[in-house]
Amino acid sequence: MPENYIVRYLPLLFHMLIAAVLAGGMVVLSYFVGYRRPTRAKMSPYECGMTPVGDARGRFSVKFYLVAMLFILFDVEAVFLYPWAVILRQLKMFGFYEMMVYIGIVLVGLFYVWKKGVLDWNQTSTRRGTI
Amino acid sequence: MTLANLNSLILTLVTFIPLAGALLLVLCPRRDRDIRILALVVTLLTFAVSLHLPAHFHRSQGGFQFEVSRQWITTPNIHYHMAVDGVSLWLVVLTTFLTPLCVLISWKSIDSRVKEFFILLLVLETALIGVFTSLDLFLFYFFWEATLIPMALLIGMYGHGRKVYAAVKFFLYTMIASVFMLAAILWLYAKTGSFDFTTLQSAISHGQVAGFLSAAPWLFLAFFIAFAVKVPLFPFHTWLPDAHVEAPTAGSVMLAGVLLKMGTYGMLRFNLGLFPEQARRNAPWIITLALVGIVYGALVALVQPNMKKLIAYSSISHLGFVVLGIFSFTQVGLDGAVFVMLAHGVSTGALFMLAGILYQRRHTYEIKDFGGLATPMPRYAAFFLFIVLASAGLPLLNGFVGEFLVLSGAFQARALYGIVAATGIIWSAGYLLWLYQRTFFGKITHQENQALPDLSGFETAALLPAAAAALLMGVAPLLWLNMIDPAVHTALLPFSDVLSKVAGQ
Amino acid sequence: MTQTIPQVADYIRILPELVLAFFGLVVMVLDPLLDDEGSRKTLGGIALLGALCGLGASLWMAQSPGLAFWNMVRVDSFSVFFHVLITAIVAVVILTSYEYMAVQRIRAGEYYGLILFGAVGMTLMSSAVELVLIFIALEISSISSYVLAGFRRREASSSESSLKYFLLGSFATAFFLYGVALMFGATGSTNITAISQALQAKGVPRLAYVAVALMFVGLGFKVASAPFHVWTPDVYEGAPAPIVALMSTGSKAAAFAVLLRVMFEINTPGRFWLIWVSAALSMTLGNLSALVQDNVKRLLAYSSIAHAGYLLVAFAAQPGPGISAAMFYTASYAAMNVGAFAVVSHFAGAEERYVTLADYAGLGRRSPLLAATLTIFLLSLIGIPITGGFFAKFYVFSAALKSGLVWLTLIGLLNSAIGAYYYLRIIVMMYMREPKGEITVRRIPASLGVALALSVLATLYLGVLPGRVLDFALRSATQLMQPHRAAITPAPTPPVGTM
Repeated sequence: MPENYIVRYLPLLFHMLIAAVLAGGMVVLSYFVGYRRPTRAKMSPYECGMTPVGDARGRFSVKFYLVAMLFILFDVEAVFLYPWAVILRQLKMFGFYEMMVYIGIVLVGLFYVWKKGVLDWNQTSTRRGTI
Repeated sequence: MTLANLNSLILTLVTFIPLAGALLLVLCPRRDRDIRILALVVTLLTFAVSLHLPAHFHRSQGGFQFEVSRQWITTPNIHYHMAVDGVSLWLVVLTTFLTPLCVLISWKSIDSRVKEFFILLLVLETALIGVFTSLDLFLFYFFWEATLIPMALLIGMYGHGRKVYAAVKFFLYTMIASVFMLAAILWLYAKTGSFDFTTLQSAISHGQVAGFLSAAPWLFLAFFIAFAVKVPLFPFHTWLPDAHVEAPTAGSVMLAGVLLKMGTYGMLRFNLGLFPEQARRNAPWIITLALVGIVYGALVALVQPNMKKLIAYSSISHLGFVVLGIFSFTQVGLDGAVFVMLAHGVSTGALFMLAGILYQRRHTYEIKDFGGLATPMPRYAAFFLFIVLASAGLPLLNGFVGEFLVLSGAFQARALYGIVAATGIIWSAGYLLWLYQRTFFGKITHQENQALPDLSGFETAALLPAAAAALLMGVAPLLWLNMIDPAVHTALLPFSDVLSKVAGQ
Repeated sequence: MTQTIPQVADYIRILPELVLAFFGLVVMVLDPLLDDEGSRKTLGGIALLGALCGLGASLWMAQSPGLAFWNMVRVDSFSVFFHVLITAIVAVVILTSYEYMAVQRIRAGEYYGLILFGAVGMTLMSSAVELVLIFIALEISSISSYVLAGFRRREASSSESSLKYFLLGSFATAFFLYGVALMFGATGSTNITAISQALQAKGVPRLAYVAVALMFVGLGFKVASAPFHVWTPDVYEGAPAPIVALMSTGSKAAAFAVLLRVMFEINTPGRFWLIWVSAALSMTLGNLSALVQDNVKRLLAYSSIAHAGYLLVAFAAQPGPGISAAMFYTASYAAMNVGAFAVVSHFAGAEERYVTLADYAGLGRRSPLLAATLTIFLLSLIGIPITGGFFAKFYVFSAALKSGLVWLTLIGLLNSAIGAYYYLRIIVMMYMREPKGEITVRRIPASLGVALALSVLATLYLGVLPGRVLDFALRSATQLMQPHRAAITPAPTPPVGTM
């Protein structure tokens, strides 16, 4: 049993080894094979358009926050679907109805956000009051 | 309706007719004349109904009569328990007697917010009657506190000068003091599960209350402080002159006439009734305070330049007699104490009305602003003299009987008490007669006083009953005393026990 | 796992929460579809309907007492009492809000939705018997009130109020959660019944004391008892007046319900001195600070701290009379305080301009009806007979005396005498001072009139005929004291603690 026990984890070990080799290989290979023409922008730690060093009080549009918040909200709500999916068979139709109610509530939220104009990036103030 | 039915209903009626009248007034449109008439009708009706009490009272019995007792709230165990004995009966009648007079005296002098004024007055009347009739400690406390608000509002809304200060001072003094009483009541309830006065009394006298002996001194003090502030006994008296001076006339009449009696009534009923042994033990210093109050009140009254303040301090002096009588633990002393309560209610009430009449004409209470008023206002002067004499204790008028009885009681208890208290009577004759002389005799010093109108019809109507009552009480005091006497006898029963115990040791 | 599917009865036992949540959702759906004016009128009406349906559902729920959802929720007289109380408070607050929203020119929409969602949390708090569910309910109600506190968006003070409430509130709930975690560590369960059984069977580990103290910190914050009270005046000053009414009565009632369950049903160890000190401090600090306030909202805030103190006195008493006294106190405090804030919110006018004591000068002349109603509420807050406040104090102090707490009672009684002074100041201002300046008092609209009438009636009813409510409270108290009988229903799932 103990022998068997460890053997069961052998595929996991292989999996990790392959992953390490693959990832390490890519980095090593690109070091040897790739061309390099460094520019200022390319030398900076990230390349997504933001200055990495600067005034922390830089202002950006409030819409970023809103979108980030909405993303997190819906994301977290979606997470609840996973455990539900695992035991759906045991819950039978009851589980199905419950989840429909849950998704319905999430949809009400989406509807509210949409109608309030939060998803409309172009408008500075929404149709119904300011956000 | 049979008489028996009525007898069990009568106290409820007397207590709540004014409240019903107040509710009627709330709904009444704001026509001042109608409101005044309605208030007068209600108060007269209450008085008429309350006369049922002395008419059907069994004179020979000392205990409580017209009893009604219903469960009101089960947890806590509160009963709607009302009854009167010879003492509280007369205090009820005194209240119902004075209130219509207050309505009459306020007929002209209250001219703004008339509706609110009479509503407050009627609510006050209900609360006062409730204090005297309730035998459930809870109910008693309920009415006791309920008197505060209408009185404070009457002073604060319709008074003059520093009225707000006076109202708040009055409220806070008496409220804080009664907190102690509430604590004591709650303690008794926690130990016995009852608020009922008679139940408590028998439980205490049979020693059935756990931990009573160690708590008794504190309980006695807790009750006593609440009552002493109301009386007011000497060091607790400072709210009284302020409240009186700033109060409207009707407020002063109710305050001096009835409210102060709540304190002395409470001492008689609860301090003596529930804690006889403690009362006996504490009597010496209480009597000392009462004596100090008698002399101090009289001396301060002597030098008062303000007429209303003078009457207020005279009240402190007179109420000192009551406390002295109560704590003399003698039959005559207590008879006298109760009689002084009634007599003082009538005559001081009348004095405040007289002062108010003058104030309405001249808007001042300063004695030096008057002088020689006998010429323009002869009828007023006659009434004033009559009441002053009654108050100073002239034989055949009401003040004499009570003070005489108290003094006899005090002499029985200890000669020194009687001697000191007797000086109070001399002083009182002094300040009252001097007041009369300065106000009515001599030349008219102020031009405005030349043409002061004499008493109006309403004013006469308010003063006449008071004067008549003062005379009747002086001529036929037995009408009152033969009901008071058995009640007082019952109240003193535990003291004979205490006395014999003390004597036996 | 034999049975995992809930029965119909389970749903009936959370029906009020379901109804309130449903109406909250309806409000949220309709809000974007309506213009400002329409949102105020229609949504207010829907919200009121929701609260009333919630009230009805609470009464229906009372017919089927028992446990629901794997022993997480219990319907007994106790929870029915608080359900009815909270939904009634919410209904009155919504009535008060109609006019307020119009005068303040606040877009109503989410406001009513949030009130209903908050109510879901509050009602759930009173019926949850599982510490994690209690925590979730606490958060539902708190988060709604954080947002609601900041609803006067144009005012800096309102944002300040919201932010302060949020920061300190999340701090406090974190304490509560920590306490729950330690309690789990000490007893191996988060179910209240299981915890009390564990503590009885195995003795009290030291960890449990710490857990109780931490949970008390969290709940003490919610009920604004000293020394966790510092947020109260600032938050109450800035938040919209009807919301203050809700926070100071509804949220408080719910938090007290939880505190009652935690303290008495678990029979928590070492609660006595914790509560004794907090009660004495709250009464004294609240009353003394209220003496010097010039802003009526701040004054009422300190008064609410003091009242939390009186209420805590009942917690220090023996369970039997203590629980019923506390329940009665919550009810009567709700009646008078909702009423008082309804008057304050009406009188405050646009942008809540008139909230200082000086503004109340001469209100007795300007608007006799408004002044008279406020007077009744203030007298009740003082504790004058024939008002609910009197019996509330009375029951609390007699319960305390019955348990031999003479000193705490004396502190309480003296405090109520001090308290009389500052309530009296308002009455004095209204009746005895001449009006200054030009303050036009608007007519009382029908909705507010109904709200005031209900509050006055409730205050007087509790003051004249307290018997029925108190009997009900006593019965609930007995049920709360014997939870195991109610918990006999066979547990469908393994104890929650092992999950």
